[in-house]
Amino acid sequence: MPRPVEKLVSLTINGNTVQAPEGMMLADAALKYGDVEIPVFCYDAKIGPPVGACRMCLVEVEGIPKLQAGCSVAVTDGMVVNTESDQVKAAQEAVLEFILINHPLDCPVCDKGGECPLQDNAFGWGGGLSRFIEPKRHFEKPLALSPLIAIDRERCILCYRCVRYSQEVAEDFQLVLEERGADTFVTTFDGHPYVAPFSGNIIELCPVGALTSRPYRFRARPWDIEQAGSICTLCPAQCNVSFSVRDERVLRVLGRDHDGVDDGWLCDKGRFAYQAIHVDERVTEPMMRDGGELRPVTWELAIETAAKLLAHAGANTGAIVGGETTNEEGVLLTHLMREALGSNDLDSRPGGALEPELLRALNQPSLQAAVPDLQYAHAVLVLDCEPVDDAPILDLRLRKGVRHHDVKLVVASSRPSALDPRAAHSARFAPGCGEAFAAALAAELAGQPSASLAQAAGADPADVTAVAQTLKDAGDEVVILWGERLTGGPRRNEGARALLNLAAQLGIDGRDCAGLLEIPAGTNSRGLREVGVLPNASIGLGDAAVAGRDSREIAEALAEGDLTALILLHSDPLLDQPDGSLWRRALGKATTVVAHAAFLTPAVKEHANVIFPAESYAEKEGTVVHPDSRVQRLRRSIARQGETRAEWALLAELSARIGNDPAALTCSMVSARIFDQVPFYNGLSLDLIGGAGIRWSERAEAASFPSAPAAPFQLDAPPAAASPNGLLRLGSFRSIWASPEVEASPALAFLHPRQRVEIAPGDAERLGIRHGENVTVASNGDSVTGLAEVRAGAPEGTVFLQNAIPGDSAAQLEGPLVEVRRS
Amino acid sequence: MISTLLFEGIDEAGLNTIDVYRRRGGYTQLAAALKMPQDELITELTGSGLRGRGGAGFPMGKKASFIPKGDMQKYVVCNADESEPGTFKDRELIQKNPHQLIEGVIIASYAIGATISYIYIRGEYDQQADILDAAIEEARQGGMLGENILGSGFNLQLELARGAGAYICGEETGLLDSLEGKRGNPRLKPPFPANQGLFQGPTLINNVETLSAVPSIVKLGAEGYAAIGVKDSAGTKLVSVSGNVERPGNYEVELGRSSREIIYDLAGGPTDGRAIKCWFPGGSSTPVLTADDLDVGYDYDSIEAAGSMLGSGAIIVVDETQSIVELAYKLAKFYSHESCGKCTPCREGTRWTFHMVERIKDGTATPMDLDIMAAVQEQIIGHCLCVLGDAMAMPIGSLIAKFRPEFEAEIEANRNERERKLAAEFAAAEVEIEGITA
Repeated sequence: MPRPVEKLVSLTINGNTVQAPEGMMLADAALKYGDVEIPVFCYDAKIGPPVGACRMCLVEVEGIPKLQAGCSVAVTDGMVVNTESDQVKAAQEAVLEFILINHPLDCPVCDKGGECPLQDNAFGWGGGLSRFIEPKRHFEKPLALSPLIAIDRERCILCYRCVRYSQEVAEDFQLVLEERGADTFVTTFDGHPYVAPFSGNIIELCPVGALTSRPYRFRARPWDIEQAGSICTLCPAQCNVSFSVRDERVLRVLGRDHDGVDDGWLCDKGRFAYQAIHVDERVTEPMMRDGGELRPVTWELAIETAAKLLAHAGANTGAIVGGETTNEEGVLLTHLMREALGSNDLDSRPGGALEPELLRALNQPSLQAAVPDLQYAHAVLVLDCEPVDDAPILDLRLRKGVRHHDVKLVVASSRPSALDPRAAHSARFAPGCGEAFAAALAAELAGQPSASLAQAAGADPADVTAVAQTLKDAGDEVVILWGERLTGGPRRNEGARALLNLAAQLGIDGRDCAGLLEIPAGTNSRGLREVGVLPNASIGLGDAAVAGRDSREIAEALAEGDLTALILLHSDPLLDQPDGSLWRRALGKATTVVAHAAFLTPAVKEHANVIFPAESYAEKEGTVVHPDSRVQRLRRSIARQGETRAEWALLAELSARIGNDPAALTCSMVSARIFDQVPFYNGLSLDLIGGAGIRWSERAEAASFPSAPAAPFQLDAPPAAASPNGLLRLGSFRSIWASPEVEASPALAFLHPRQRVEIAPGDAERLGIRHGENVTVASNGDSVTGLAEVRAGAPEGTVFLQNAIPGDSAAQLEGPLVEVRRS
Repeated sequence: MISTLLFEGIDEAGLNTIDVYRRRGGYTQLAAALKMPQDELITELTGSGLRGRGGAGFPMGKKASFIPKGDMQKYVVCNADESEPGTFKDRELIQKNPHQLIEGVIIASYAIGATISYIYIRGEYDQQADILDAAIEEARQGGMLGENILGSGFNLQLELARGAGAYICGEETGLLDSLEGKRGNPRLKPPFPANQGLFQGPTLINNVETLSAVPSIVKLGAEGYAAIGVKDSAGTKLVSVSGNVERPGNYEVELGRSSREIIYDLAGGPTDGRAIKCWFPGGSSTPVLTADDLDVGYDYDSIEAAGSMLGSGAIIVVDETQSIVELAYKLAKFYSHESCGKCTPCREGTRWTFHMVERIKDGTATPMDLDIMAAVQEQIIGHCLCVLGDAMAMPIGSLIAKFRPEFEAEIEANRNERERKLAAEFAAAEVEIEGITA
């Protein structure tokens, strides 16, 4: 469905003529274009169409005898509105009196006090008196709606926002209203706690203090805190957030509504994992290994030692860069590696290096879809990724597109997706066979035989036909939301070519409201590639003068002794990289491991010689790039905790000590250098990026993006998916909750996943495995244990394990086939 | 002059079976209607002047003409959730002559092009639902429902849905939500059901009595039907008369007949020649009228001119021996219990009113409460999402306006009564306060 075209109409509000887009709700139009506030409780445009429940927004519309609810009257040309007449005033006072009769008015002890729409509306539009002398309604309070949310039903004004959110936005269908009339109360459908990936949004939606954050409860009043706007870097979705800061501590995270990024929502990880900034487990001082034990040391000693060790290893140093690294840190690390140490062995991609020309082809500005396109395109193909785990907030955007804009959603993945129930069609293929599936789909769209390719992908050929038909029938505007794993692994280049062929077949290059949108493995993966944190590319995605080793080759070289030192910048290879056993050998052999880390994750704890404390995202400054090419700015919101120092400065200092000073005096100086050196960033500045970010692919300078060969590419036949043959194919995924921040946050820790072995009912029966049993998954002598999760809808012949959890991670096993048995 | 249309032969044994119904000429109107072009049928319905019998009195043909043309799935929904206190006409229609309703539903479905239709019956009408179920099955067996009805090529699937006991599900959009399996709450209008009703499809939703009248319109023709009754109130109306009358029951009258005749001549008036204190002309949700209004013609416009509404056509007679406060208490209790809780004025206003009347009863109210109570009714009227709030506020408001002295007297009497009781308790407790012994 094409994006709606705005047509302006002219209406009169309180005697003033106002221009507003046709169809906009009066309450929004009055505020935005007429500077007239119509008070509301139940209405918020982002929850969906109005319901007119609270009746707070009654206004007079000429020609209609009854007062109208401003939230649900669309503006029309020539409309005459009065929001200040006596009749309106009387109605608004009446509604407020009604709302307040059952409200406890315990503002002095309520978390919402001071930032409460009910207080504001009562002050602005209320009569100031209540004639109600009867007893108010009473409920047991406060109750834990979930470990994260407290519910106070006496304060609730039954505006329905939270219930509508749960039913119509998050679509978790957990919140409901029970009982009737004045006895109505909000609860969960089954009486279980409200645990969902996006539950915390209802705290922000609640217009009173009925739903409060348990981690924030009684920690501060609004006048104790300051708001600091920045970016959440816990996943590639890069939601815009606002930190509530008190005494240099982050006490809360709120959304900073950005239609182009997050649509005003946050996931629970983004909302609550700030707690990990202020926990004792966090590394906040430099540490060194001394007699096998990690001990705190002075900065001087740590820097001096690290510089000496790295200088000694010189060109025999490799570096693995994690997704939370900013562009500035990335550039300074490349300087340290390439200029100071003379090594090209650095990588920010876990899946292995992609041919630079393919990287350029995938990142062509004309081929980039924007996040809002997910909501307005005719069809969206979700390919080899799971949005709710990989970039959670996009899951809500896709649901919105399907619900409100009739987007045809097609899901093609190995593992069953949370989006399946909303999809027009869902197709499954064998783990790691995204390439073959994309090739099959491209062939089908081209009218060529696709059945053998579909079989190679381990997919049902009928599924490929159905997906192609759905995409064709939907319309021209197709967005492919694809996961980085499609271009990872041994056949990564072929995967990229298949994807590009598919895009070419759909003709989405250069088309509005269509294109590719990658969900990369790391938060700032896109930015890091564009500034050249790759073994084979230079800053601006040019070819590297000398190509170095990619992540897997670094591990191999370390294991072989060809490399002796390793820098881990915000990365733990045992959590983030495939090939767990290779990395264990590599780390064991490395003589020097210098880590920049916030937590003592397995590789850091066991193998680092020098550890520098990493800044948290609330402490950092710099820039990151959203997967849809939006350059966003991180702003320092709190003082660095403990002994933590600015990492950009540390990286510059290390280079300088080794003898090649990058002359970076401030972080913004490095930013300016990046904007200067990356041709397609030319002309950007931190001011221009501001609070909303800027999509470089939409700027004129995008024309200087290096050219790339055009699809279609000649593809060689993909290898057939392994036939289970008594064993099971191994699939892996990374849960939204699998991160050190979640584990370290007291409120979220209950969500930190344990290993589960997802298996289809048929396979479970064949292997004699029951739901909830302890199961061992083994291959080549390595094994992982976990609880069996028999999942209806899981494809037969495949077992899914989680990645990125300490200990029993899927990365420890080598696929494609594994043996599954009861422990 | 025709005296009975809907109740024609209503007490004939076995009328609820298809054989008797057909013997009496049933389903011949359906056959005739199926031969008419759909547009013409809607013109007939519009021309008949039939107004909705559920409460709002919206012209039925006009509503049907709002249904968009086109191939989308359309629905006819029959509202058989007869919940208004004092109203029991639909129950008798369903119980005794279910096929008349089914025939009306089929004709209406054909007129607007609906191929799936529902009858939503209140949960308490268990017996009637069983009768209706049996009748639907008979109609299906007889080829009146299903594929290619009477060889016309028209298909219709008719389902009976039972409610679970909520007054709000008689509100048309609340009914639709309930029918969709959701919590029965009214929806915001617009969009009206004619555009976006059941499962988002265009939906014609009408009361049992309205749809039961449809075969008569086909039989008599628009002009023939419009000739019955008075201007802007065509046809006959079933009136459920209850309260303090000798012969409570359903009476079919031609619209425009004098209310006095209905109450006294048909229903026998109050026992022992007692005087009428007030009466509800259209169910408990309409403003009350007094003995002075008895000569008002019983039709939509006349009752409205008298300051009330024809509503569902249920006359509740209250004689001089009844307490107005008790009446207000029962009304407030009912409506606060039935408020769905979605919109603020109704949810809070009905409960507040109930508490205030309760305090009048227990002697803790003052005359000031009467002013607050009257003001609260004003605060509810016209401010709600649906009309349930108004359904309490209008009668309560009219009771206060018309019987203020009685309220005041009762407040005073109950206060005195309470003080006497407290004094007696005080005396019985034999407490000594600062040297004074009671």
